[in-house]
Amino acid sequence: MKISIPPAWRTRIHRYRLVATECKDCGRAFYPPSQICRYCGSRNTEEKELVNEKARLITWTVIYSAMEGFEDRRPLVLGILETVDSKVKILAPLTDVLSGELRIGMIMEPVLRRVKEDCESGLVYYGVSFRPVIK
Amino acid sequence: MISTGVLFMLPEERTGIAGWGVYIPRWRLNLQEISEIWGFSPEQPRELGVVEKSVAGIDEDAVTMGWEAAKNALKRAGINPKEIGAVWFGTESKPYAVKPSATILAEALGITPYTMATDWEFACRAASEAIRVSIGVVASGLVKYTLVVGSDTAQANPGDVLEFTASSAATALIIGNREESAAYFESSATYVTDTPDFWRRDSSKYPLHGEAFTGEPSYFRHIVGAVKALFEKTGLRPEDFDYAVFHQPNGTFPIRVARMLGFPKEKVLPGLVTPYIGNSYNSSALIGLARVLEQAKPGQRVLLAPFGSGAGSDAFSLVVTDKVLEKRNKAPTVDDYIQRKHIISYALYAKYRGLINRVR
Repeated sequence: MKISIPPAWRTRIHRYRLVATECKDCGRAFYPPSQICRYCGSRNTEEKELVNEKARLITWTVIYSAMEGFEDRRPLVLGILETVDSKVKILAPLTDVLSGELRIGMIMEPVLRRVKEDCESGLVYYGVSFRPVIK
Repeated sequence: MISTGVLFMLPEERTGIAGWGVYIPRWRLNLQEISEIWGFSPEQPRELGVVEKSVAGIDEDAVTMGWEAAKNALKRAGINPKEIGAVWFGTESKPYAVKPSATILAEALGITPYTMATDWEFACRAASEAIRVSIGVVASGLVKYTLVVGSDTAQANPGDVLEFTASSAATALIIGNREESAAYFESSATYVTDTPDFWRRDSSKYPLHGEAFTGEPSYFRHIVGAVKALFEKTGLRPEDFDYAVFHQPNGTFPIRVARMLGFPKEKVLPGLVTPYIGNSYNSSALIGLARVLEQAKPGQRVLLAPFGSGAGSDAFSLVVTDKVLEKRNKAPTVDDYIQRKHIISYALYAKYRGLINRVR
């Protein structure tokens, strides 16, 4: 696997701080960010950090046949969550959970984790995963 | 004696801990597994005074653990991250040999770009020296706050006695002005010598240690040297302190060094975390300080004495303020993280910590 450096660098703040887009016209927010509103097409948008928001688990899946670069992470658990305040839906890895512990509707919180790496000598790619709230 | 007039305050007296935060991974390895697999005496964990050690997960490293500790410290400090003027990361297990971990932390925490950011290296004491330097730069007004993070996924050669205790955890401190601190510094002292007790050469995966050098000539000599220098400087004595927190490579050394200095065991136990999670290297003494801040009363005095191989120790005298009460519950405590645990097998620990080599 080869991590392409330019997009990894360009998206680092969005990944580290869970930066979404909020539309100033229709008022809706979405992730990953884009300069154009996904819902109304407006360009009147601004960035909104969600890294301090908790999120509700909508659904999840467990991947046993992981793609190249993720073999060590098997079983890889991915979830769709909705942030509690901003109501933004996010697709993200779930971490620090055992398979029987997940429940639809449970409250989770974002944490910075390693997502992937380019072998032992390449770039480490960090991003946000979600785990059950500690307190 | 320490002067009290504002104009004559020492640098230490003008600074304190505005916020603290810790992180301990969820995964634990029971040390009996190491005894069984590598043929050690079943009594070995008991002799070390440690039951379990914390293990960083497959998606964790010193940076991710340091990030969570720093987030917790920011919650307790209640400050804008942009006000931090230095991000100083103390570790001996940084993900990159060349490329600072401190810049990843600073970027992820929203502190960039107008900040200093550096990784510090002095075995388990790197973050401790960053605290002493923080006192200087905050007291001088060069920066308003510094963020000091001690974080390690401690390495140990499988089957080495070090493997019993080498664990994973992080502690972060935000150093700021005394007026807004949960505990302010009174004084500090450092004691260093060139001592070959523990090292890891460039490109070596695991550290080596000088067996007999790890106790008397290194840990005990340096901590006693630093604490006695602090006593000399301040006129303080063991009976003036309510808590004593030392570097904790195992569960027994801190009790022994306390006895050598004249501290009863009761003043050490509240800050002794290693029996539950092992030795988290740069976080080892600092996580003990965090646990003390989570139970101390305003006005109580704390001795903090981290140690690092190679070798050196710092001694700090701190006084807890009433602000500790309002900050304490703004983030998960050390005990919250200690209780959040799940025991894993040696096989899973080996996978998580990269002890199994796989062709990729």
